[in-house]
Amino acid sequence: MGIYKIIILSFVLALNVDARPISYSGGSTVMLKSDNMSKSIYYHYSPTYKYSVGIENLEDKFFNKNKNYLRLTYLINRKNTDISQRNLYFQSGVLIDDTDGFFYGIHGDWETRRWFSGFGYKDTKNTFGQDYTDQYIQLGVAPYIGDYGDLHTWIMIKTKKNSLTNTQSTYPELKFFQGPTLVKFGYSDKTEWDLHFMYRF
Amino acid sequence: MGFTLYVQILKKGELMKKILLTLLLASPLAWAEQDHANMHDHSHEGHLHDTMVDGKNLDVSAERFDAFMNELTNVNVAVVSVKGMVCDFCARGIAKTFEKDETVQKIDVDLDNGKVLIAYSKSKDINYSEIEKKILSNGQSMSDLQILEI
Repeated sequence: MGIYKIIILSFVLALNVDARPISYSGGSTVMLKSDNMSKSIYYHYSPTYKYSVGIENLEDKFFNKNKNYLRLTYLINRKNTDISQRNLYFQSGVLIDDTDGFFYGIHGDWETRRWFSGFGYKDTKNTFGQDYTDQYIQLGVAPYIGDYGDLHTWIMIKTKKNSLTNTQSTYPELKFFQGPTLVKFGYSDKTEWDLHFMYRF
Repeated sequence: MGFTLYVQILKKGELMKKILLTLLLASPLAWAEQDHANMHDHSHEGHLHDTMVDGKNLDVSAERFDAFMNELTNVNVAVVSVKGMVCDFCARGIAKTFEKDETVQKIDVDLDNGKVLIAYSKSKDINYSEIEKKILSNGQSMSDLQILEI
């Protein structure tokens, strides 16, 4: 399947994002997400493995408005060992249409081939007249260890909280990835679907 | 049409929830089977433990190494030990970087042992710092390099 078909299909499915926020040097990534708060498409390019720059179009479901962010993600710290990798990232974005609006935050992860844990905190300022925060924690286990090029599967549990809706939800997620493509989906009674698609090239 | 289908799927949240739960319950079975398969492989295939001139062991799956060398001639093989290569995405970046080098004939990634096997044309002077730099440019680190002259 060609890259254009993948992108078009991704738009149609209107899915969700996160995973690795920076690609390898010279790599590009298209991410799509959908959850109870927003739907978005995000493209980023990584000149080096240390940072990525990108643009995100986001449909805000709470304010019922559309916004466009110019985004920067920076790898603050990485620890590689024989069996694990740990990352800490700084993320930020500025509204293109209204530079008073911006967000910043950190997220981190620690991962082996069997286990995954991650967290994130994002503070959004002056967006449609309000400030709010998003937080999440995620834990995962790979039910089997796939080889290079295989289909990889993760069973995860995520808990997230948003200060606008003041809701906290905890729910299971399934993540699949093979080659350059990743799909993740979770469901909660409170916040319904949390969907995520990523393609790296 | 695709969007309508997506909306219909969302409306059928209850059905999808059941599918999700079924998948979650089925996964530990797959896990158990995979672990058993891995144990079976290890007991029969073993590893290639060639002792190098420097006294180090070359810890590469023998089956994997044979498959890698199949149809390759007139090459030198760099066996690179990589730290932080915990997922397919990391490994894919490394493979892409080395594939740009025209002297590279073949690449294989052994995620289990954290090794990257690179077959270079004989004419290539394999350089430690060049490989180290390429691994680092992908965000991983190289802990060792062994060169096999075939």
